[in-house]
Amino acid sequence: MLEKTLQLALNGLMAGAVLAVPAIGLTMVYAVLRFVNFSVAAHMAVGAFAGYMLNAWLGVPAWMAIFGAFAGAAAAGIASDHVGLRPLRGQSALTLAIASIAVNIMIESAIRFFFGGSPRDYAIQLRRDWVIGAFKIGPQQVENVIIALVAMAMLFVFLMMTTTGKAMRAVADNPVLADSKGINPDAIARLAVGIGMGLAGVGGMLVGLDTSIDPLVGFRAILSVFAAAVVGGLGSIPGAVVGGLAIGLAEELSLLALPATYKSVIGFLAIALILTLRPQGLLGSRVT
Amino acid sequence: MSQSRLVTRRRALFAGAGAIAAPLVITTPGFGQTGPIKLGGLVSLTGSGSPFGPNSRVAHQAVVDQVNAAGGLLGRKIEYGAEDDQTNAEAGIRGARKMIDVDKVQAIMSVWASAVGTAVLPLCWENKVMLLGISAADSLADLPHQGYFVRTQPHTVLQAKQFARFILANNAKSAYLIMPQTPFTESVFKTIREDVEPKGVKITSAIIDNKKTSFRSEIDEMTRANPEIFMMGGYLAENIVMAKDLFRANYKGKVMGFAYGVTPAFIDGAGKEAAEGIYSIADPSPAFDSSAYTKLKTLVKRDVLDTFICQAYDHANLAILSMAKGKDATGTGIRDNIRKISNNESGTVVDNALDGLKLIAEGKEIKYSGASGPCKFADNGNIIEVAFRTAQVKDGKLAELKI
Repeated sequence: MLEKTLQLALNGLMAGAVLAVPAIGLTMVYAVLRFVNFSVAAHMAVGAFAGYMLNAWLGVPAWMAIFGAFAGAAAAGIASDHVGLRPLRGQSALTLAIASIAVNIMIESAIRFFFGGSPRDYAIQLRRDWVIGAFKIGPQQVENVIIALVAMAMLFVFLMMTTTGKAMRAVADNPVLADSKGINPDAIARLAVGIGMGLAGVGGMLVGLDTSIDPLVGFRAILSVFAAAVVGGLGSIPGAVVGGLAIGLAEELSLLALPATYKSVIGFLAIALILTLRPQGLLGSRVT
Repeated sequence: MSQSRLVTRRRALFAGAGAIAAPLVITTPGFGQTGPIKLGGLVSLTGSGSPFGPNSRVAHQAVVDQVNAAGGLLGRKIEYGAEDDQTNAEAGIRGARKMIDVDKVQAIMSVWASAVGTAVLPLCWENKVMLLGISAADSLADLPHQGYFVRTQPHTVLQAKQFARFILANNAKSAYLIMPQTPFTESVFKTIREDVEPKGVKITSAIIDNKKTSFRSEIDEMTRANPEIFMMGGYLAENIVMAKDLFRANYKGKVMGFAYGVTPAFIDGAGKEAAEGIYSIADPSPAFDSSAYTKLKTLVKRDVLDTFICQAYDHANLAILSMAKGKDATGTGIRDNIRKISNNESGTVVDNALDGLKLIAEGKEIKYSGASGPCKFADNGNIIEVAFRTAQVKDGKLAELKI
């Protein structure tokens, strides 16, 4: 039983680390623009397909194609925000969130139009799990976690050590004060959307590397991603990391007590619990 | 100002009268018997059924074009339109509602997923629209559909029995079944258990949440049990993920899956290494030797056809010939006449709508025998007489086996 629990925990941490990447994207957009942009799901798919084109069609190694996933999803994110959501700035957060669902459907449909609905596979070698004592771990899982950690570290450096990153944090903390200091909120918003959706794209490709991709690759993950961001505290980047790990762990460990068919319940349960007991999330600092 | 108000009132009166009269006109017998005859395809262009839905649409359209080019049906043109059910019930209902309420179709053809079929069938019988389906869930035939339902796909108990046969044929002592939640999951598990457990086979089963991206822990659990046979009972997307996890886990037992989930697209998605050796079970075999199969290959310009495009071809032919037989271009006309042209063993055998229409016009009896099989239906709508085949992935391709 202990062995099984530890294996599930290991699987959960691996899955959670990948989940944390798009969750950071979602929470980052929220921090600056103050609405939940559900089109993160479609941008996960955009990133997955951008990486697929580079890797499967052009032969670029998967780890390098990750940069393409980031760039593709970031560009699509900025464009979709500019066309679909920016005109609605000033409307309520609910209006923007609903509009983002519409944007999500349009992007997923566009992907389906060009690529079809069938699952696709990256041009990577399928490898057997490493067996370490009683535990199994997949080389791809380990690589995915490393890529996720590197992406998080680069984001941390950007936010903490660059002027633009500091400006972004300033807008997230106090947009009015930041504006009075001459920080261009539009430019920061565009940057936040670009980085946020770029990270979603990286997350989409990481999910795809371990499984397969289709236009709904992000849609299937969005509940867990949203739950991770809420649990960690919407707007908190460290919170999204903690939330991702917590949701990943909870979903896998739930198999000890619940049939696998109820895995999706965990995300809803986590959202309900956190909103009831600590609405600002584990690491969130305020309720908006 | 006063005149415009008068006009507004007059318009309002006309509009009101029109609104009151509309239901009377629409329900008057004979309305809808002029103008084009509408047939609809509710097909899966996206989601798990997307590898098959576009083919169904092609087959429907080809049959309709052929009949229209020869002068139409009962002196009227046939209009065909397809909606994407996205392989989910909610989108399926929206598509069916549009086809029934707006397009006024008389038949909805080739619904693939059981969840969609289950959701849409009540709409069909309430609106007297015929559903010619693929959906295999056993429960569909048990619904009070008043005869507005037939299917060419063998129902899932028949399919489950093929899995049970496979387990017994391999003298396995243990099998582990994993399926996503579907309207037929429980009946498949129950049928397999009933058939193999009395013969000493230990069965373990689990239902997975197919809305998740990974099933790694579920596969870990299965490999810990170390069964001789594993049933990977998902649709395409889940099967691809599970097959990769099976390869990573170095599972050595036999793996079997539903034919609709172990397809060439599955081999492409999972990769040759992960797909190698996996069995495709309960595949309703098209009638390869039939003249209908040959004609369909020519019609759609393809060398190889799967069962679903064959079934879609048969749906369109059956709907058209039933209407012609009853000289009644409605869903009720199809319902009342479909067995007269499909179960009539004394009729002249036809394999396409054009030949059938000519014979019907000459007052002759016909028996439609299709590309998917003989197309005979029981009173509850289930298909009678099905040939199954079993295949195995060998060198990245599905090779048929004799078991």
